[in-house]
Parts: sequence; C-alpha cells; structure tokens
Amino acid sequence: MRILILGAGEVGFHLTRQLSEEGHDVVIIEENRERVRSIEDAVDAMVIHGNAASLSTLEKAGIERTDLLLAVTSLDEINLMACLSAAQYEVPIKIARVSKPDYFDHTGILPPERLGVDRMINPERECAIETYQLLQSAAATEFAQFEGGLVQLIGLRVKADAPMTGRTLAELGADQRRSRYLVAAIVRDGATIVPRGSDRIEAGDQIFVIGEPRHLPEILPEAGHTGFKLRRVVIAGGSREGLLLAQMLEEHRIGCTILETNRARAVSLAETLHSSLVLHGDATDLDLLEMEGVGEADGFVAYTGSDETNLLSCLLAKNLGTRKVISLIERMNYIPLVARVGVDAAVSPRLSTVNAILSYVRRGSVLSVATLKGTSAEAIEFDVAASFPYAGVPLSQVRFPPGSLIGAIIRGDRVIIARGTDSIRVGDRVIVFTMASAIHDVEAIFA
Amino acid sequence: MPKGRSRLNLGEVVHVVASILVGVAGAIALCSLGGLLLRDGSFYPLIISALIVGGVGAAGRALTRVPQDLNYREGFATVTFAWTAVGLGGAIPFILSGAIGSPVDAIFESMSGFTTTGSTILTDIEAVAPGILLWRSLTQWLGGMGIIVLGVAVLPYLGVGGMQLFRAEVPGPTKDRLRPRIRETAKLLWLVYAGLTLLLVVLYVAGGMTFFDAVNHSLTTMPSGGFSTKNASMGAYSPFIQWTAVVFMYLTGINFALHYRAMRTGLRPYWRDGEWRLYSLIIVLATLPLALAIHTPGGPLEPTFRDAIFQVVSIVTTTGYASADYVVWTPFAQIILFLLFFVGGMAGSTAGGPKVVRVLLILKHGFGEMRRYLHPRAILVTKISGMPVQSEVMLNVFAFMILYVGLFGVGTLLMTGTGLSLVGAAGAAAAAISNVGPALQEFGPMANYGFLAAWGKVVMVVLMLVGRLEIYTVLLLFHPGMWKR
Repeated sequence: MRILILGAGEVGFHLTRQLSEEGHDVVIIEENRERVRSIEDAVDAMVIHGNAASLSTLEKAGIERTDLLLAVTSLDEINLMACLSAAQYEVPIKIARVSKPDYFDHTGILPPERLGVDRMINPERECAIETYQLLQSAAATEFAQFEGGLVQLIGLRVKADAPMTGRTLAELGADQRRSRYLVAAIVRDGATIVPRGSDRIEAGDQIFVIGEPRHLPEILPEAGHTGFKLRRVVIAGGSREGLLLAQMLEEHRIGCTILETNRARAVSLAETLHSSLVLHGDATDLDLLEMEGVGEADGFVAYTGSDETNLLSCLLAKNLGTRKVISLIERMNYIPLVARVGVDAAVSPRLSTVNAILSYVRRGSVLSVATLKGTSAEAIEFDVAASFPYAGVPLSQVRFPPGSLIGAIIRGDRVIIARGTDSIRVGDRVIVFTMASAIHDVEAIFA
Repeated sequence: MPKGRSRLNLGEVVHVVASILVGVAGAIALCSLGGLLLRDGSFYPLIISALIVGGVGAAGRALTRVPQDLNYREGFATVTFAWTAVGLGGAIPFILSGAIGSPVDAIFESMSGFTTTGSTILTDIEAVAPGILLWRSLTQWLGGMGIIVLGVAVLPYLGVGGMQLFRAEVPGPTKDRLRPRIRETAKLLWLVYAGLTLLLVVLYVAGGMTFFDAVNHSLTTMPSGGFSTKNASMGAYSPFIQWTAVVFMYLTGINFALHYRAMRTGLRPYWRDGEWRLYSLIIVLATLPLALAIHTPGGPLEPTFRDAIFQVVSIVTTTGYASADYVVWTPFAQIILFLLFFVGGMAGSTAGGPKVVRVLLILKHGFGEMRRYLHPRAILVTKISGMPVQSEVMLNVFAFMILYVGLFGVGTLLMTGTGLSLVGAAGAAAAAISNVGPALQEFGPMANYGFLAAWGKVVMVVLMLVGRLEIYTVLLLFHPGMWKR
C-alpha cells in the first residue's frame, strides 16, 4: 500500500516508522528542512520538503497513486485542506488529525465526508478517554479495550508482597477454575517478554493482562493492589485535554478540581464547566496542592504543556498521598522513565493518535490495535478468514511465530480467554499479542 | 450607537410619546363603543376623553419630526415620558365620567392601572359605569406587556432605536431576543399575550362569569394587574374560577419568551430554566407553611389550600387579586406574604417586583462567596441555566437591590408622614414599588386607598412608575449626564 503522511512531527514520525516497518511504501511531506533531514536518517521512507496543503507538493509526492492519506500536521486547517484536495484525486482513504472541537463537533450540516475526510481523529479526545479509563481501572498503568469493551486489556505493576510474585504462569493458570484472565506480556527492566507457561513473575514486573471486564478486577489483589472507588480527581492544567476530561468526570458525577495558571483560560473553563472547581494557580505550588487537599484525592492528572512540570507535579501529588497519579508526556522517549520515578501511568495525545490511526488503517481483517506504551509489543485484533491454516487445531499444537501469543478468542458474543486446549475456528475473532518484530509473520497467518 | 450622536433630541422623544398617546386615544375610543353597547352613559365621557388625548397626541406629532433613530438616552427618556403621559391621559375618562372626583385620585387609579399595580381608591367598584370599568381594566392589559413594546411592534420607524426602548421597559437584568428583528420579537410577545388572554376569557365564561366580568378579569389577570369589577375581588367567584385564576396568574409570572419557546418545542424549556425552577420552588415553599398557618383543625382541606396558594401566587406575581382577607390572618401568615413582595415574578413576565432572577443571582453569588472562603484561589463564575453571568450584570443586580430597598425605606418614611401606621405605611410603599396593589393592615385586600392623604397618593404614583420601569429608567432622567450636550 502506498501511504502519504503529511507532517513529520511525533505523530507523523511514529506512523512512518510503524507503517514502513510493516512493509508499506511511505511518502512523508514536511515543511521544516531540518526535520526532513533527521527523518530521512531515521526511517526508510521518501521525505518531501514542502507545504502539505499545496497541490504542487502533493503532486510531487504522488498523490494520484496514493492509497491512504494521513494528514497529521499540527494545523487542523492544513489537514482538512489536504484531505479536500486528496478527495479530488480520488485517494481512497483520508484520515485527518483535528484538534479544534469546532471542526469536530459537527452537527450534521458539514459531516467529515463533505470535507473529504473518512475519519477525524482528535488527539486530545483520545487522550482524555484513555486517561479516564486509566483512572477508573484503579491500579492500571495501561488500558485498552477491544470489541467495544467486551474484552479489556490492563497493564499492572506487580508488588513485592503480591501473591503472584515468584510463581509461573502455568501455576497461575492452574489456580483458576476457568481461565478468566491471561498474562499476555511482561515488561522487566525495560525489556518486553511475550511469555510462555514456564515464565515466572517477579516483583516490580509490569504485566499486561487480558480478560473480560467483570473478571479483570480479580487480578488486582493477586498483583498486590487494592481497589478503590473514584470520587475526586485533581487535574493540573486546563488544556483541551483537561477540559474534555473534566467534562467526562462531570458526566459521571465524579468530583473534579482543575488548576490553571492562565487567568483568562481559568475564567473560560469556569464558564464552560458546571460542577468542577476551577482554581487559578500553579501545579507545582506545594502550598496550593496541600490547601486543596490533593493528597486526599483519588486521582491526580498532570496535563500542563510541559513534560517536566507534569512529572514534577505528579511526584508532589504522589508524595502528598494521592492514590493514582497520571502524567501527560509529549516526548515519547520519556515514557519508559515514568514508571521508574513512581508515576503510575503516562498518557500521550500523540501516541493515542497513532493508535487510533493505526487501528483504522489496519481495519479490514485487522479490527483494532493497541500499542503497549513503553514496550515493543502490540495487541492486534484479527478476523479469522477461511484461509486460516490451523482452524480447529488446539493452540498448544500450533507453532505461532516466536514473540507472539493468542490472547483471547471472540466467538459471537462469547469471550474465550485462550488456553492450550482451546482452538480457533473460522469466523472467530482473535486478539494476538506480538512483538513488533513478529507482526509481519503474524499478519501472514491471519490476513 | 446610531448615527454616532449621543445628545438627547427632545423633539424626537416627543414625537414617539405623542404617537403612543394617539394609540391610547384609540383604546379609549374602543371602550366608548363598549359604553355605547352597554348604554350606561359612559359613551360621551369616553369619546370626549379619546378626542382630547388623541388631539394632544396629534398636535405633538404635527409639531415634531419623525425620528431617524433613537439613541440610548432618548430611549430612556421616551419610556419615562410616555408612561407619565399615558398615566395622565388615562385619568381623563375617570374625571369626565364623574366616577372619580379628584384629579389626584383619577391619576392614582390610572397609574395604578398602567403599571399593573392594582391599588384602587374606589370604595364601591360595582357602582361605577361598566364602560369606565372596562377602560380601567384595559389600562392594565396595555401596561402589562408594555405600551412601549406595543409601540415597537407597530411604529414603523423604530428600528434600531427599538432595542433601546425595549431595554428600558422590559423587566429583568438581561433581555431575550426571540427574532433577529426587535419588532418581530415585540410582535411575538404581544401575540402570545393576546392569545392567552382570549383563552382565559373562554375559561372564565365556562366557570360561570358573565361575559363582561370575564373580559375584565382576563384583561387584568394576564398583565398580573389585579383590578376587579367586584368589591370582593376574586372572593366573589366559584372555586373553579379561583383555580383558573391561580393557574393563569402563575403563567403570567413566567417569562413570555419561555412560553413562546414552549409552544414551539414542548415543556422542556421551562424545566431547563433555572429561574423558572426557583420561581416554582418559591411558590411551593411559601404555600405549604401558609396553608398550615391558616388551617383550622378539623376544617375542610381544599378551601384552606386554595386560599393559601391563591394569595401566594397572586402576590408573588404581583397581581393583587384576593380570595380571602389575609389581614385577619396571623402575623406569621402575613409576613410570608409580605416577604413575597420582594421577590416578584420572572424577568420578561408581566409581573412586577425585583424579579426572581435577581434573587437567584444574589443567592448563587452569595453561595459562591462562601465557596471562596474554602478555596481562596478558586475562579468562581455565577451562572444561570448554565450560562455565565458577566460581572457587570452582577454589580447591576446588587445596585438594583440596594436602590430597591432604599426606595422602599424612603417610601415608607414619606407614607408614615401622612399619619399611617408603620405596618400600613411600609406595606403601601412596598405594594406600590412592586406593583402588587393591596398591602397590609389598613390597606388590606378588602380595603382601598381612598382615604389616603393626597400627597401620599402622589408618592405612591411615583413609586409605582419607578417600580414598573425598574428604577434605573426613571432615575436616569435625574442624572446630570443625561442632559449634557
């Protein structure tokens, strides 16, 4: 597939690398000359220098032969304009990154199709949704869902005194009367393992567990966590993500306090929000955090424009006693650091955008995909086609590519958390965990 | 600002006022037809009054030029002068017919009518010629939705200037525009108003009123006016009619823009409106203790409850009908009613008083200030129905309430000077500013203002006008900046 990506920011760069590694022909347009150079060095893709909305640049990039356009520059207008142009060249699929709610909350008069856009992705909204789910799922460091929530994936950190510490996955599986959840990936000392039955869980591991939503909470005490009910959340930074998250919390009647340093922005937030308390102040002002009882809050989310401020304020909140602290991280290479310094989870609008776009791009046989943050593994959902070679064969006898495993099988509206005795049938959907290096082999089996 | 001109052009003001007088003359002439049909001898006094008022109006129009546009100052001046002129002109039929002897009394009755106060100096209402009573009721109907709003609806040259007038006359701190053009908005409001009035006539006739009484009471219920053609007010009618009156008085206390929206989209606009919720809550919270206070153990429940809710709704909407003589109730019951004098109906309704929205804003702001003690760094925005209220509006509301209470104090002072009891004087002052009508003690619903000293009546006339135009419009005329070149 020939893919044209507009904008080589973090989102464009990650998409380029991912899609190019998966064997697609990627052309990328970038306006900043220095950025062009560094992209050319880092990925195997054609980089074109120029304005992404200009027709001559688009033609130079071969728009008429393009199968997929990903307009992910940081400017909504350029993205929309480019999609509109691409529609004239009859590019089959056009995806635009759009941040301003004015363009996003169309009321039907101007639906995305009229703008030539097949799908609008709003980074801030994707990020706020992910944060909300992380807050809700107590101890989770990572959260994803498949099949509209029928199957969930959570990431957890295993505590030293947890019952599961030191046991093998096979032992854990034998404890369960029915297989209700499955440890699908382990991150230990920065390295990702897609485990087998003989692998042992160690204290401090980050484990990724797949299961049905009603059974997943059972894993929490096993990993040494206690559950809690979300009553009050403090958001530092009234950015777009902050506003969206506050609105979600209000909708679910969860108390919300929001800190904003810019007075005018704070006033506008106070005018827009209903039950939330808006404070004018700095997220790293310890006196303010203490006075407003941040330590007693169930969640603290740092959404300011600076990664450093976010991490620092998260540490302050954690120190005051906030149960769960989540930091927004813009620079993706900071993400592995997050866990080490004691912040519970990291979110990134850009990574959320990459995930949302990849899952859309791979739709067809691939239904949904989640990139596990801070790991080199992915969770991918496939439809099992008639050409599947191992239909009806018990999983224990199938040789899947090394670094991959079957997480769950969805048959109709039934969810089977995969064990060696289960088998895959044609027409099922499966959720596969795989290291990036094995994606190609896995796709070869299913697609 | 239209034409970039801020100076007040008196000629243009006079032209609009004169035009409105011509309209009032037409209304008096209409009543004279009623007098002709009823053969009660009121035809000649009414038609002569119509000619006098019309003549003055026509002369005023002939001597001045058609205004290009009205600016801010002219808007406020026009409204105050128009109301004064109409109050004076409306008194002429009472004098010529001999129904009311003294000019001061006649002006009191006329102004009480146009401002929808409903205070009367008539001792025996039923002795007055029906044609004159019809005019008396019609003054309230015209004043209820606003003679100026009517003027805006029909006078073709009031385009941009219309909003200045609208702002000066329609009650409440902020105004709704239903249509892009102010004239269309004014027409719609009058249409809703007239439609509800017609419906009410039918219901009153169905309840057993004579056609004449039904028309009169409809004309005074809809503007939340309160003039009755009976000495016993609504007490003279059946429970069905009293309940009908309760429902319609309740409706008149609601913002007419809400009625219009509800007619188009169903009942949801009411529930969504924060002011409506407080308005309805106040009625419930006042009725229940009042019913308990006036209930005689073992007695029937329905009449007690009906008496309680009737007086509550009548007073909170500042209508001023009575179905019972509340002056004989306990002080506890009376103070519940008196406190309602300082609430009034919703902004944009025909009711008087300080308006529920102002009470709501002050309550919300007060609550917000308490929150500020707990969270000193909080950014607090007062909101009504989810919409933020600008801080200038908030300050305006505070200033308004202070002026309101101040005027009440000054009014009480002046009224006690005429030798009234303290309760009577305070009640009369509040009843005049809030356009309620009946007050307490010697001015209860079954009494009248006839025996009040002449200058006490003048004080009340001024208070009624100032209250109806929500203070600022009238007081602005006394601000030196208004007349500066």
